[in-house]
Amino acid sequence: MSKDEWVEESDKGQCSGFGLTRRDTLKSGAAIVAVSLSTQGPNSAEAAADRAAPLPVTPQYPLLVRTTVNGEMVEVEIDTRTSVLDLLRERLGLTGAKKGCDHGQCGACTVHVDGRRVASCLTLAAKVEGGEVVTIEGLSDGDNLHPMQQAFIDHDALQCGYCTPGQIMAAVACVVEGNATSRERIREYMSGNICRCGAYAGIVAAIEDAASKMGRG
Amino acid sequence: MNTASFPDRARVDARDKVLGATVYPGDVPVARILHAMTVPSRIAKGTLTALDTSAAMRVPGVVRVLTPDDFPSPAPVSEDGPPPPPPTLEWRIAYRGQPIALVVAETLEAAIEGAEAVRPSYAPEPFAALIDSEDSERDPGEDVVFGNAEVALSSAATTVEATYVSPTQHHNPIELLVTTAVWEDGRLTIYECTQSSAGTRGATARALRLDPAIVDVKSAYIGGGFGQKGGIGQRQTALVAQAAMLLGRPVKIVMPRGQIFHLATYRPHSRHHVRLGADANGKMTAAVYDAEQEQSRHGFFPCAEYHESTCRLYGIENYRGTAADIRIDRQPPGWMRAPHPQAACFAFESAVDELAHKLGRDPVTLRLANDSRIDHRTGNPYSSRFVNECLEEGARRFGWSRRTPEPGSMTASDGTQIGWGVACGAYPSMMVPAIATLRIGADGSTRYAVSGHEMGQGIRTAIAAVLLEGLEIDPDRLEIVIGDTTAAPQHITAGSWGTAGAIPATAKAVARMREAMRELLAGREIAGNLHRQLSTVRRPFLQIEVSEVGPGQGPEALQALRRGAYAVAGPEYPNFTTMSYIAHFVEVHIEPRTRRVRVPRVVSIADCGRVISPRTAASQVRGGVVWALSAALREATEIDPRYGGYLNNDLADYVVAVNADIREIDVGFIDRPDPLANSTGLKGLGEVAMVGASPAIANAIFHATGKRLRELPIRIEHLL
Amino acid sequence: MRPFSYIRPTTAEEAVNAFADAEAGARFIAGGTTLYDLMKLNIERPTHLIDVTAIGGLATIDTSGDRLRFGALAPMSAVAADPVVAGDYPVLAEALWKAASQQLRNMATVGGNLLQRTRCMYFRNGVDGVYPCNKREPGSGCAAIGGLDRGQAVLGASGSCNAVSPGDWPVALTAMDASVEIVGPAGQRRVPIAELYRLPGDTPHIEFSLAPGELITVIEVPRETLEAGTARGSTYHKIRDRESYAFALASAAVVLEIEDDQVIRARIALGGVATRPWRATEAEAVLAGQRLTPERAIEAGRAAFRTAQPGRHNRFKLELGARTVADALLIAAERSRS
Repeated sequence: MSKDEWVEESDKGQCSGFGLTRRDTLKSGAAIVAVSLSTQGPNSAEAAADRAAPLPVTPQYPLLVRTTVNGEMVEVEIDTRTSVLDLLRERLGLTGAKKGCDHGQCGACTVHVDGRRVASCLTLAAKVEGGEVVTIEGLSDGDNLHPMQQAFIDHDALQCGYCTPGQIMAAVACVVEGNATSRERIREYMSGNICRCGAYAGIVAAIEDAASKMGRG
Repeated sequence: MNTASFPDRARVDARDKVLGATVYPGDVPVARILHAMTVPSRIAKGTLTALDTSAAMRVPGVVRVLTPDDFPSPAPVSEDGPPPPPPTLEWRIAYRGQPIALVVAETLEAAIEGAEAVRPSYAPEPFAALIDSEDSERDPGEDVVFGNAEVALSSAATTVEATYVSPTQHHNPIELLVTTAVWEDGRLTIYECTQSSAGTRGATARALRLDPAIVDVKSAYIGGGFGQKGGIGQRQTALVAQAAMLLGRPVKIVMPRGQIFHLATYRPHSRHHVRLGADANGKMTAAVYDAEQEQSRHGFFPCAEYHESTCRLYGIENYRGTAADIRIDRQPPGWMRAPHPQAACFAFESAVDELAHKLGRDPVTLRLANDSRIDHRTGNPYSSRFVNECLEEGARRFGWSRRTPEPGSMTASDGTQIGWGVACGAYPSMMVPAIATLRIGADGSTRYAVSGHEMGQGIRTAIAAVLLEGLEIDPDRLEIVIGDTTAAPQHITAGSWGTAGAIPATAKAVARMREAMRELLAGREIAGNLHRQLSTVRRPFLQIEVSEVGPGQGPEALQALRRGAYAVAGPEYPNFTTMSYIAHFVEVHIEPRTRRVRVPRVVSIADCGRVISPRTAASQVRGGVVWALSAALREATEIDPRYGGYLNNDLADYVVAVNADIREIDVGFIDRPDPLANSTGLKGLGEVAMVGASPAIANAIFHATGKRLRELPIRIEHLL
Repeated sequence: MRPFSYIRPTTAEEAVNAFADAEAGARFIAGGTTLYDLMKLNIERPTHLIDVTAIGGLATIDTSGDRLRFGALAPMSAVAADPVVAGDYPVLAEALWKAASQQLRNMATVGGNLLQRTRCMYFRNGVDGVYPCNKREPGSGCAAIGGLDRGQAVLGASGSCNAVSPGDWPVALTAMDASVEIVGPAGQRRVPIAELYRLPGDTPHIEFSLAPGELITVIEVPRETLEAGTARGSTYHKIRDRESYAFALASAAVVLEIEDDQVIRARIALGGVATRPWRATEAEAVLAGQRLTPERAIEAGRAAFRTAQPGRHNRFKLELGARTVADALLIAAERSRS
């Protein structure tokens, strides 16, 4: 699927093509404003910006970023140096994405930006201006787990769980991209997510299982 | 003893983990938090003569730079007291990467920029970075001797002799070292990914001269430990705690991986000279094994333990083992998954394979013929030992009988060389004391607090399995509190003794609770689960406390536990020895030209006594096999002796196995309870899972190619 | 990391002008997978970042004409998955999907990837003088020469630097005789891919023949020079220390044109072994007009390394590289038959 198609879906108010629905998953941190799009128009974010708590210290190069996180409009002032991962974890209270290397070498920080999986540690927060970010917190529909989440439980595709949010976000993308068509292909396209506990066999089994339930694969 | 098998049960904390809702220490929400960053030393040895922090303090957002002057002098060390805590900040530099300052700032970005702006001055000194470096210092450890190995070796019909080498390796759990310290109302609370919350409390209190009673440590979930987060304590803890106390605000550090390589422990590079002798029937009669390892100047990772497993793999009656530290100027090495047996059994099980080849014997048959009921080191019997059963079941599942013995004889038509290898592993099965509190509420809640740390091995799931097997309680409202010094006395969780510590205590708690319920109900028959029963008799809750110690341990073990001290029993118990065992069967494929080694399938059968949590246990074994494959074919930390420090200090250049490296791993268990080791019949598993799989790979490579490779990791250049 | 200003212009002209207006320390940033990474290591220290990813029209993939045209901002993953690229030009698709991970390929652009900097560990480590590095601190020396050089180059090294050019995609483009379109303060120009990369010589810190403020906009791959108009008989073969998500120890991009079992033309480029994407003309010469046998394939591979100069720990790359070329040739030949 091309990027253009994602954008089109986004414009229709769909979070992504992954069968996700927008939910109020964003936890409010001290320095952010989260506005539910279902109750307020997009312009209200500007008004809400007045209520945003400032950064604890004004950096040399501050930047106002407006983006959508798990379906919620977020407007937040950042230091230009901030990564998407640090924005999520340290400013927005979304700690599902994990820091394992901070250099794009482990995959624990994987989130979706505009429908594609990326390493959030190596993505400047400035770059998600106007974009749509989906994290592990935005994957399930309330208490109903995404089929990939359920499959990870069923196949014990995790141990310590630290790489798991990144694995699952990568795995969902792997299926949607059409790269979950064989065990070999899954292994290749999941190799950007290191599981030091060594749950790889379970991860591959879980993706095969979920792919059939997601209607792709 | 109840010997029934436990049913398959999902991992109890898996739901939170797949939701990203599990709170690791770096995820704990704390208001007004400050971010800290360490400044690593750029010299490998010498003195820090000055620290210019003025530029760092000018960075907007930096609130303080801590230097050695901000810390008390090192705590005095007493002979029979606990090991010294990790040093704080010091003017003396003992290794490259040693933290020399801590920058604390309002934002992470400012802390990082501030740390880069600190300007140190040094007086460097010559240093030894490798065991072959000029200033290295040999320090012999204790010998392990029984029988007369030299005499037996000289009269052996067949002998083999070789030297094997294992590299420096780093644990690299995906979670970084994370500490959050909160100083509030005269109490210091530390959230840290530690395998030893009580040890962290004690070490921090000693380093900062605090009363341990005012320090709480919480380590509810660890994002992978593998020994890195236990052992001798983490050096950043006291730094961050001191910063929090000086500044009166919570402080968090998430240490960059490059720095972790330089400051955390690691598996030391080691060399192993092995001589084996066998009689004409293939009975192994003698082993002489000399081990040496790299060691820091004052490190205490014990070299003699290379013999713990190798002297008990087979019924060898004459054994002489020596061990030595080679002291150099690096940070201390430590316990990394299957600490000594990984390297020792790579050497020993490779040597056994060489012996089998020289004898013309099948390597499985040779091993089967060398079983023993007796631990010749102590003369005591093994409490249980099913290593031959592991070999037999593994050989059956693997299809070993179809193997042709000649090296290179299984080459495929496209030139791919195929090899089948086998090796065994053993690991001491140890036990630690535990004090547990179980409280069942009429409101449907159950709270169970015990010693233990969850790092993915599944200890919560194993505990839940025992509680839910024995008590009719609501599983959804079962809270298992571990790794928390405020909830129960905590022992370090390592050495595969986690379940052996927590599970017998849990079984005892279940029995005590049932008894307490019987007393409470006094013969009344009340329908429903325990919560319902309590509610019916108008009892808000029922709480019991139990304690358990290992065989041969008494009340002093419980006192040690309460102090946060080390209180391990085994593997030598008063009248018996207890070891866990495993047999690994490995198939390798080696490309005809570019010589990449693939491992399409592994069969691993473990004897860990009674299996408490089948699903997580199987995952543990698969993980151990992945570790062994990664250790055998991928991982080595590189040190340029001219500079010290670690060159490949990230996950791009320190190459661990990725998904595409791993194919089928078939895991089985003997699942027969050990009758003596503890009341539940279990033995340790997490470490033994890895032991022996690396030599099985090396042995398979020999079978595929005829080439005996005695140094890990085995890489492409060794097979061209 | 030093503070930096950040802007995101929407036209190439705006970007080029912004660069010209900025003081020293301006850098273009696209996916950021190299630049931001090196900034985190305090090796790159830009003071102004000009994010080029919002520039319109530079992410298109056009496979309709005589030349394949890839907008510099097209993500690596998108080009790899393009049906024409994947079907007719396996050397290009494989060079892309065997690089990094899908996450990084979604971020990295095909233009930015051309400018990826070396992965030499001595370069990446030891800011502030722990390891001397002429690339990082010109004139400071090279710790890799005579050091732990297992990963270093055996072709194209100088006495100043033996750092390997890390890319895969540039190697495939080198085999395909690609070129890049560049805009800059002095207007537009076109540079053959072979001329984009410099040998280290005495100035290893100057890696690319781009002037300050120049921006790659389009990558062009000719197909009119290919007999069939496609490169189905091609492959990018990559050997590394693990099966995936690792840089090459040795790689070979091979494009074969075979008729009646005879090699009409072989184009071969090497990765993982040289200081720049390396066209192996000596190996190509061995094959021209010959029947491709396994023996001939290894002979061609060895010819590629005839002038190689190994260090202490990387001598194996000569043999591994030769065999990688041989395997790549046989894979490409197999594909050209089917």
